Amino acid sequence: MAWIGAMCIVAIEAGLAYAHMSMVVLIASFLLLAILESAIALRYFMNLKYEPPGLFWTLIPGFVFALLMLNHIWPDAVRVTALRFP
Amino acid sequence: MTMEATPFGMPSRKFAMWLFIIADAATFAAVLFAYGYVRFASPNWTRPFEFWPTIANGLLMTVVLLTSSFTMVAATVTARDGKQSRALGWLGATIVLGTVFAVLHVTEWVTMFHEGWSTATNPLGGSTLVGGTFFIITGLSLLHVVAGLIALVVIAGGYRSGRWDASYIETTGLYWQFVDVVWMFVFPLVYLLNAK
Repeated sequence: MAWIGAMCIVAIEAGLAYAHMSMVVLIASFLLLAILESAIALRYFMNLKYEPPGLFWTLIPGFVFALLMLNHIWPDAVRVTALRFP
Repeated sequence: MTMEATPFGMPSRKFAMWLFIIADAATFAAVLFAYGYVRFASPNWTRPFEFWPTIANGLLMTVVLLTSSFTMVAATVTARDGKQSRALGWLGATIVLGTVFAVLHVTEWVTMFHEGWSTATNPLGGSTLVGGTFFIITGLSLLHVVAGLIALVVIAGGYRSGRWDASYIETTGLYWQFVDVVWMFVFPLVYLLNAK
């Protein structure tokens, strides 16, 4: 079932790519679907569902916090495209 | 001698693999964040991928990798149940599917090189960062797939000879599933977002 669910999500993603949506909506949709798909993989393929809850609470919130911090730091990389050799 | 309990009552090997996966996920997240920002900062970004052959090839690669996740789960479960020959069969299927994925990936790269793409050139005339980000992100993913294939072959050999037990297959399986999770983000964000 998990495999079929993941396949359905891939099919939806492929359909959305040709649905002529705005780029922002498309990226948001892709990210949401990828997070949903990876949640399925984490729960059922990687068996996180059957592990002690402490493992989830040790790993995932810290990881999400690190991603949020990346989002604060990374915009500085935009400057890279404007850099030129003297 | 008193042995200290392992975190969450799981083997240290498995917990270490979870820590590695989280650290590696942060690496991929950093690369994908960078790709996102660079892409939106480049006004002359080109969307190079036609449905045929690139997107169709990417879809096939996704199906192959997702199926390999399924066979890996089957290998883990049968190994845990002590069915060695069945577990080896599922592991073999995972290795074959992983190899097919890698071959499809390399074939795609070779085709793109022939079309004039590289990390520093864009035959369509737009930003050269299109090729740069594509080859770096997919290259990092391919590197993980190849590393996973080597690990699977080594673990299968050790399990077959009786040197290693089912827990080794489970731990390696975690890594293989992680490779699949990475692809779940790479395919839509790098391939589909660049579809013509």
